[in-house]
Amino acid sequence: MQAFYFFAQINLVMRIKLASLLVQDQDKALKFYTEILGFIKKTEIPMGEHKWLTIVSKEEQDGVELVLEPLGFAPAKVYTEALFKAGIPQTAFNVDDVDKEYERLKSLGVEFSLQPTQMGPTKLAVFNDTCGNNIQIFQLL
Amino acid sequence: MNYYISQIEKLKKEVYSKDYLITQVMETKQFIDTNFAENLDLNVLAKKAYLSKFHFIRSFKNIYGVTPHQYLISVRIKEAKRLLSNNITIAESCAATGFESTTSFIGLFKKITGTTPDLYRRKKQLSRAH
Repeated sequence: MQAFYFFAQINLVMRIKLASLLVQDQDKALKFYTEILGFIKKTEIPMGEHKWLTIVSKEEQDGVELVLEPLGFAPAKVYTEALFKAGIPQTAFNVDDVDKEYERLKSLGVEFSLQPTQMGPTKLAVFNDTCGNNIQIFQLL
Repeated sequence: MNYYISQIEKLKKEVYSKDYLITQVMETKQFIDTNFAENLDLNVLAKKAYLSKFHFIRSFKNIYGVTPHQYLISVRIKEAKRLLSNNITIAESCAATGFESTTSFIGLFKKITGTTPDLYRRKKQLSRAH
């Protein structure tokens, strides 16, 4: 009984708190992801040459944090470049209205490799995050 | 055309070729999105999609990955979370989102979010106070 109480107290569960995205330049990425895309900076901790840098959605500020990680490891650079060239998104963000978001981002100078397209029940579009990645926005219709 | 776009075009042809069926199911999903607080049973939804009940459930699951009932519950819970975050009571949130009873509401809320409506509401109020 005592053992059960002990385990119940420390809550043996794993939580998904972080997702990460490799970026060529952390400062440039922070600017793009906050000023253009509208995310909010959650933590910024200096770590020598680089920093621990995370952003969150305005709507879910206690939700999953996206780590903007420095692209320091050479093989990762090869992988990222290959994905970029193939037009494959590194990750995807959910939006309420892909068409409206597309117009908003385009007016801010964001470059799209895929214009709003419907695929079954999903509408999607893909843009260049200027830090080495394709990013997809999607909406469930 | 890059590789990703060619894959999307391929999927459109191979997986989503039955346009009429997708449109019917999509419209029913959108009907759930706006009418979730009503008494939506399977008869109503299948009729809306012009499909037999069996065909409707199967098609919905193929397209959205969950059954129409699971989807309806998830929409109701999402709205309940919004209401609870705005300090609306559990009874009011339950009534406004179309759940039949507070007991089933609390049970489903716990099952889906991992926490009770009461705890969720208190947590939100606490984080708002800070």
